[in-house]
Amino acid sequence: MTFLAPWALAIGALAAAGMVLLHLVARQRPAAYVLPTTRFIPDQRTLVSRAAARPRDLRLLLLRVSLILAAAAAFARPVLTPSRGDIGRVVLLDRSRAVANAGEAVAAARARAADGAPVAIIAFDSVATLVGDAQWDSLAAVPLSGATGSLSAALVAARRASIALADRVDSVELVVVSPLGAREFDSATAMLRAQWPGAIAFERVALRADSAISWRLERTLAASDPLGPAMVAGRATGTTRITRLVRSAFSSADSTFARDGGTVVRWDTTSAARPLAEGLSVDGRVIVASLGRLPVADGGRVLARWADGSAAAREVRLGTGCLRQVGIAQPAAGDIALHPPFQAMVRVLLAPCGVIVPDVAADSSVAVHLAGATRSAAPATALRRDDDRSSPLARWLLAIAIALALAELIVRARPAADEP
Amino acid sequence: MSTGPYGALLDAVRGVRWPAARRVMGATLGAHPSQLRGNSSEFSEFRPYRQGDDPRRVDWRLLARSDRAYVRLTTDRATFRTSMIVDASASMAFPLPALDKWRLARELAVGLAAVAHAEADPVGLAIAGAQTSVLVPRARRSVLLEMMRALDVTVPSGVSVLAPLVTSARAARVVIITDLLGDADELLAAARLRVASRSEVIVVHIVATEELDPPDDALLAVDPEAPAMRRILDHHLRAGYREAFTRWIDETAANVRAAGVRYVRAVTSEPTPHLVRRIAGETARRGA
Repeated sequence: MTFLAPWALAIGALAAAGMVLLHLVARQRPAAYVLPTTRFIPDQRTLVSRAAARPRDLRLLLLRVSLILAAAAAFARPVLTPSRGDIGRVVLLDRSRAVANAGEAVAAARARAADGAPVAIIAFDSVATLVGDAQWDSLAAVPLSGATGSLSAALVAARRASIALADRVDSVELVVVSPLGAREFDSATAMLRAQWPGAIAFERVALRADSAISWRLERTLAASDPLGPAMVAGRATGTTRITRLVRSAFSSADSTFARDGGTVVRWDTTSAARPLAEGLSVDGRVIVASLGRLPVADGGRVLARWADGSAAAREVRLGTGCLRQVGIAQPAAGDIALHPPFQAMVRVLLAPCGVIVPDVAADSSVAVHLAGATRSAAPATALRRDDDRSSPLARWLLAIAIALALAELIVRARPAADEP
Repeated sequence: MSTGPYGALLDAVRGVRWPAARRVMGATLGAHPSQLRGNSSEFSEFRPYRQGDDPRRVDWRLLARSDRAYVRLTTDRATFRTSMIVDASASMAFPLPALDKWRLARELAVGLAAVAHAEADPVGLAIAGAQTSVLVPRARRSVLLEMMRALDVTVPSGVSVLAPLVTSARAARVVIITDLLGDADELLAAARLRVASRSEVIVVHIVATEELDPPDDALLAVDPEAPAMRRILDHHLRAGYREAFTRWIDETAANVRAAGVRYVRAVTSEPTPHLVRRIAGETARRGA
């Protein structure tokens, strides 16, 4: 048995000792004595102090000390400690679209959990889900998610899973099986990593490259085109898929082009829209910039949305290709075209139909930073949140303390024998 | 006549005389010198005849021998109505369980009444406690027994009001037996009026030895007439208590004496016959 709040025991012991002292040196009311000349006694005190070799009223003292100790033991929150193992393991298995081969990732995670130690498997993409260790085969068979992975969500889930695991083991090792795509990190990742009190082992699997679906624009953009810098940064190779960028209304030739499997993107260059501070969400990325809104025809799949939920870009399937209309107007002046988040958004909006823009691997320094300076697993004592642990014994001890308090009240309420 | 527990006391005070402090008024033949002269056979002196004297009181033999008219004066004696007013308040029921203060008050009342009654004086009794009972002064033989019965059936309790009884007592000699812990101021005012009307008033102040020297153990003193008054009395406070109590006794005695009332302190440790003799004997000396 261990106590989650042992300081309460110390306080209870001190209080019990104080109670014994109070019973030894007690200010008490002496026996009543009828005295007709009471009025001549100086009116100073109603109690007298008397030190005794033996505590007075042993029954009351026993009740009070038992009450204090029971309450202190309840507040100390005793828990029965089960048998413990040396190490447990939390495996974060990346199931996002950044993973090239699901089977490879599952096999790597399974290898990590093969030593028989207690393990908690957490599959994550944009959300994290705790799965049982008996579902390896099912995990390998289930196709990967199309969502972007979130290491932050995975770390939060790992922290929660480690709390339960820490009750059974002395230390917990955290293993991340992931390609560590750059888009799987966000601003909260570093803070969440700092809260993990040990090293993180990375099992890096292959990143999805999408080399088979390379694409390019039908015509190279002019140097003065606002979208030019984005396409320069993300210039693709290969000739399999072609995107036609038009700056005005669709023509019949554009429709024919789309029916034949091509992608036509209408992105007007008008500057009539008054630029305002807007929030824009595209493929899981959010940018806030000074942008203008252009009308977008209804119908089709929404590719991008403004912060108020209205569509900023729509796509309509046509034959084996698609027609896409973008209602985002760049400001006439400014350097937004040079910002990487905007360029990434442009590449997503110009990508051919059905093509997922591949992620890029995170910098190796990021992975080293996440791994941490120490090599040791997180100690269970650092992971346990004693405040959240339940102590069933505490309830019973509190009930006993309440019963003792009632008994003390009854005993104390009894009139003394010498009371007139 | 069955005197019960008072038998030894009555035997002890037999023969004690309790003369009045001054000449008494009254025509009934008694043992106390009267303010009236001329009716008895106890010769006192001769006085020259003055106009208006009763010619029957002229000593004719002396006139025949000396040829001068003298009147024969004699000393008359009369009875002296005496009333005992006994305080039967709760404060007199002390100390428990012996009730020494109440015992002494009862014995003093009976003893003094017996002494007065032996001189043919009418004696009465008034008991002031939770209930008041009054026996008017009588000279008949059974009056002592009636007083004993009335005292024996009384249990000291409640708060006593003595002043009205002092005012309404139908006696020339009033003996107030009390611990003066009740209506002392009103009592003293009433006694002062009685003294002004030439009555003899005696205050017998009953004090228990336990009041003068309480037990050494720390105790919670409770006033029997005011139970809400509770005070701790331990060895630290005992000196202050004694000083205050003694000062009050002395001040009270001085106030009583200043009012022309005779004050006698009766401590429960003093034998009752001795107290009776002291009260009666001192009175005799004062009257001499």
